[in-house]
Amino acid sequence: MSSEFLLEIGTEELPASFVTHALRSMKASAVELVGQARLGTDSLEVHTMGTPRRLALRLRGLAASQPDRDETVMGPPWSAAFETDGSPKKAATGFSKKHGVAVGDLRKQATDKGDYVSVQVHEAGKATDAVLTEILPELCRRITFPKSMRWGPGEIAFGRPIHWIVSLLGSEVVGFEFAGVQAGRSTRGHRFLAPKSFDLDHASNYEEALEQAHVIVDLTRRKDRMMDGLLASAKSLDGVLEPDAFLADECVSLVEEPFTVPGSFDESFLELPDTVVVSVMRDHQRYFAVRASKGGALLPSYLNVVNTAQDPETIAKGNDRVLRARLADARFFVEEDRKAPLADRLQKLESVVFQSKLGTMGAKVRRLQANARALAQGSGTDADACVEAARLCKADLETLIVFEFPELQGEMGRWYALREGIDSAIADAIRDHYRPQGADDVVPDQVVGAVVAVADRIDTLVGCFGIGLVPSGSADPFALRRAALGIIRIALEGPIDVDLQQLIDEAYAAYSGDAELAPADEVRASLGDFFRGRIRAMLKDAHGGDVVDACLGAWDGTSLRDLRSRIEAVSELGAAPEFEALAVAFKRAFNITKESARGVVDPALLEAGAERALAERFGTVRDQIREATDERRYADALKLVAKELGAPIDRFFEEVFVMVDDARIRENRLRLLREIADTVNGIAHFHQLGTKLQRRDPSISA
Amino acid sequence: MTFQELILALERFWAERGCLIVQPYNSEVGAGTFNPHTFLRAIGPEPWNVAYVEPSRRPTDGRYGENPNRLQQFHQYQVILKPSPLDIQDLYLESLRALGTDPSHHDIRFIEDDWESPTLGAWGLGWQVWLDGLEISQFTYFQQCGGIDCKPISGELTYGLERIAMYLQDVDDVYELQWAPGIRYGDIYKRAEWEWSTYNFEQADVELQKNLFEEYEKQVAVLLGLSDKKGKGGALQFDREPLERLALPAYDAVIKCSHYFNVLDARGAISVTERQRYIGRVRLIARAVAESWYAQREALGFPLLDTAAAAQ
Repeated sequence: MSSEFLLEIGTEELPASFVTHALRSMKASAVELVGQARLGTDSLEVHTMGTPRRLALRLRGLAASQPDRDETVMGPPWSAAFETDGSPKKAATGFSKKHGVAVGDLRKQATDKGDYVSVQVHEAGKATDAVLTEILPELCRRITFPKSMRWGPGEIAFGRPIHWIVSLLGSEVVGFEFAGVQAGRSTRGHRFLAPKSFDLDHASNYEEALEQAHVIVDLTRRKDRMMDGLLASAKSLDGVLEPDAFLADECVSLVEEPFTVPGSFDESFLELPDTVVVSVMRDHQRYFAVRASKGGALLPSYLNVVNTAQDPETIAKGNDRVLRARLADARFFVEEDRKAPLADRLQKLESVVFQSKLGTMGAKVRRLQANARALAQGSGTDADACVEAARLCKADLETLIVFEFPELQGEMGRWYALREGIDSAIADAIRDHYRPQGADDVVPDQVVGAVVAVADRIDTLVGCFGIGLVPSGSADPFALRRAALGIIRIALEGPIDVDLQQLIDEAYAAYSGDAELAPADEVRASLGDFFRGRIRAMLKDAHGGDVVDACLGAWDGTSLRDLRSRIEAVSELGAAPEFEALAVAFKRAFNITKESARGVVDPALLEAGAERALAERFGTVRDQIREATDERRYADALKLVAKELGAPIDRFFEEVFVMVDDARIRENRLRLLREIADTVNGIAHFHQLGTKLQRRDPSISA
Repeated sequence: MTFQELILALERFWAERGCLIVQPYNSEVGAGTFNPHTFLRAIGPEPWNVAYVEPSRRPTDGRYGENPNRLQQFHQYQVILKPSPLDIQDLYLESLRALGTDPSHHDIRFIEDDWESPTLGAWGLGWQVWLDGLEISQFTYFQQCGGIDCKPISGELTYGLERIAMYLQDVDDVYELQWAPGIRYGDIYKRAEWEWSTYNFEQADVELQKNLFEEYEKQVAVLLGLSDKKGKGGALQFDREPLERLALPAYDAVIKCSHYFNVLDARGAISVTERQRYIGRVRLIARAVAESWYAQREALGFPLLDTAAAAQ
């Protein structure tokens, strides 16, 4: 039965993000080093814990000692070690001495390079503590941080200066030195509540002993404790906690023992928009907001997670004062901002650089208006509202409050607009045009917001592609992938369809006079490819890469919803069991005819039987299929294809030989197949489909 | 505790812990870090422990004396401990006790706050110190200064005196602080805040500031014998031997350039692209001074190393 091992590195206050980062590397290195040192067992448990002042590692299930090892060690070439008569040379005696064996124990081993001396070495396993002593300095060296620093003499780099190291195997110290600190059994409690150092008698008492010293070293337990405190405090205020996962992670990493101290502010600050109050509290002070249990209105209270709460009144008083000054600043900004209408900020946007080669934000806003007008006309909505929303959508960037809280862009523009009496559709669009911000964010749900959102993104995309700022690898400083994905999602999930080709052309035209862009053909081509790549990346998991490719092949590059209809139709049909045979048949029809000329089929040349049957069936449904395709009823079109053409074309390929010697019959046959292939290809390029379509499963997509 | 008692308490505290007590620098600086007692002394192997008040100018932070928290000139108390002692945090917390604040009755937090001065080519890692939610100090382990890696590392403590005094005196308006019995902060500085805000935002002569920047920038090159040509890997070249260079007057010129840049910035006379260029120009001359200073100390045999050894 082996003992538990504990390593604790005591430091000055590590930043919140450093602790999780460091613990991850600590765990990975421990697993690797313990394995290399042959101390691992099947029951090895590696657990890490941390607070701002300590990084800890607990190992359970270590081997009681390192197992013995038998190994063949290669020595010098045989000829260099022994005379031809077999008597040993210096190399042989030296080698045997080095490994503590007699010359007679050396063996001859044949290799590719000739005979060599070898020896069987038996290495007795060392005691676990002796092995740990050797590997622990390396383990410490391998701990990584987002940024490292040096201190004092400046010899060692670590996340923050190291003050103590605990290294205990069971009740025994495993000695080693790192960063000039000698490992021992002495640890420290909470900086203020249990400042004296004290000895740990056993590794297994670690968590308990620290808890006595006001340190909850396990992150999960500390967070649970913190959340319990926050929820209870919110309840005692007749409120509910405003959830904030990011803030919770941050706060739990700033304390060793969490306490909640509630505070309050003057109710008059609630006249500010909620988002401003919440941002001031969260960004500047790391306070949680509280909403009324009934009605959900923001309460003039906050919850502060602190590390020490000996004197909550003093702490609350100090924090109240800081928050009061912060909120007063915010109120000042909002009042100043409201002295002039939003539209007055447009002038200032003329001197803000959008991108050095693409001109100012003022110019961008003018282009957005042109793009918005074109989009609005294309989707039959109120163009004036869209243009006005485009005109105002960036104005809040020049307000004091957004300068102070950049994350409130859009939100504040909307708020100011509503208070100026601007139409709510326009005001909402000022906020919504930033959506979706990421994969988890919603798209604008109203037309005006959707129009401006698309207008904004396409302007950035066309501009950046026009000056060669194309994303490569992980480098995408203008978030162009996200912009393209935003447009695709708005078209597919939002209230407006997008004609991509027209959109790109309009946005390109809007740059005229503002910037020198690459020729329109180039931008159209590279951006078109970029969009196709994004569409593929977005839809391949749900539908399969080959389905998306097949539909992209047939798509004319205009309506994004049209593309989606195709993909859905092919996906749906692909789920039917008879589809595989159909796909194979059309693939064959395409492959056999792709080099041949199109032309009118001569019925007189058709052979009775399978060929005539196919031609007649096709003749009766061809117009229906084409009509359904033209009307973008792709599911209907495909159903017709499957129902009407499936059996005849299968029979055709079974019974009819296409490449007959008689040129007239052969040509006629190819014309028939070509016409069928063309008709079906109008829906999707079947030849690009994989043939295991009916087994499509999102989890095994290409 | 009045404002001046606060200063006196800190002076006494750090003097008792072996710091030289020196005086503010007699030129316009943006922070205590610009004082040569910090910027130059943080470079090289010689030990250095010093403390001083630094009136610090931030032209863009001016509010015409109308904002209770923001000033274009405020006071820092600056402490440099080189090499940084392992108990530097404990020393800092003790200093709060010397101000009558028992840390265990408050919520004291060390919040990550990395520091960088792009104009000085200096950066460090450390914290802002929060006292019940109020940022009262900055705490930095210098990693680089004037583009030179620091070794040993200096620990820098910077107390925001106005904020601490407001806390201790329980006032919400900086101008209501008691500087000394019967004299308020506003009696001394309110008019000054209005005048300097008006100057920095409205009346500072843009051409004059630009010319002064150019002239002082040229002075640095002259005083150091800084060559236009660069060596391998962009290394700076000097036409003068280290001890022939006038590093200290050159450093004053760097401070002037930095200040005129700040005024131009407040005046709204610098565009975004120009801004980066100005910062780069100051960083270059700051680096030239830092390298010259190091070369001089080296030529002199790093004299304070001997002094420190003798003291032990």
